[in-house]
Amino acid sequence: MNARVVLTLTALLIAGPAFAQSKGQLRIPEFAALADKASESVNVTLDSQLLGMACRFLNAQDPEQAAAKKLCTGLTGIYVRHFEFDEDFAYPKVDIDGVRRQVSAPGWSRIVGARSNKENTNVDVFVLIDGGKAQGMSIIASEPREFTIVNIVGSIDLEQLHDLEGKFSIPNLEIETAKKPAPKKP
Amino acid sequence: MKLPNSNEHFEDELRRALRPVDAPEDFTERLMRALPADAKPVLISSNIAPRARARQFGIPAALAASLLVAVMLGKHVAVEREQIAEQQGREASLKLMQALRVTSQKLDIAYQAVQSPPPAAAEENRS
Repeated sequence: MNARVVLTLTALLIAGPAFAQSKGQLRIPEFAALADKASESVNVTLDSQLLGMACRFLNAQDPEQAAAKKLCTGLTGIYVRHFEFDEDFAYPKVDIDGVRRQVSAPGWSRIVGARSNKENTNVDVFVLIDGGKAQGMSIIASEPREFTIVNIVGSIDLEQLHDLEGKFSIPNLEIETAKKPAPKKP
Repeated sequence: MKLPNSNEHFEDELRRALRPVDAPEDFTERLMRALPADAKPVLISSNIAPRARARQFGIPAALAASLLVAVMLGKHVAVEREQIAEQQGREASLKLMQALRVTSQKLDIAYQAVQSPPPAAAEENRS
């Protein structure tokens, strides 16, 4: 009996790190079955190792890639699922709700939430703040014929995200950065 | 000091002793009779046996060849790995750019929703 307990604990200790997730990383389904049904799909899974490789091969001469290179230095993962369909609601809403539940956990804050009942679109932007720094970002967007889940893991420098403005057509989200105190007058 | 007389005498004696002499007439017959009737071939072997020779030269040669093959194989594997890593890196960078484009598109929608003037009807909710 004791041997079984020890064996189980050992197995858990060994297997534990394999299932461990970085702070800010969401459990996003692969949606493998949807790829055939979708008219267009983007499935990007870049863990820290692949992200490091990707960053190394970005061309610093290209402004778009140079901005991306600057951004990805502090990141440990980028996960994107984007599917477009020819008919309405051809995707399982349950899976998206499952991701949405994960960002309702403590630490995550919704910084933007847009709902359009007319077009039936929802876009939510969440940020995981830990120790006063953004450690993860997530976008959950759904429309009748498409849905997108973005999860960016790692210390996101909001100023660098700000630097991407105009390069990826990223809008000015009016992100407030720490302002230097004004020098005191003598 | 030279002693010409004794020297000349010695040379004459040597010449006489080494003069060509015809063999006696029955020499061949006597020689043939002296030879054994069933002559067996004599095996002459060198000091180094073939196995020992192989051990002496073959093993170092094989080791050198293996080392050469290992070095060449290692180099080939390293080059191949580098090529695979480069290909994976390029593919990953393309995926990264694709991911950032999708992210920017969605942020753009969020931005437009936040920036657009509030609707007259309670049709849109923004937070």
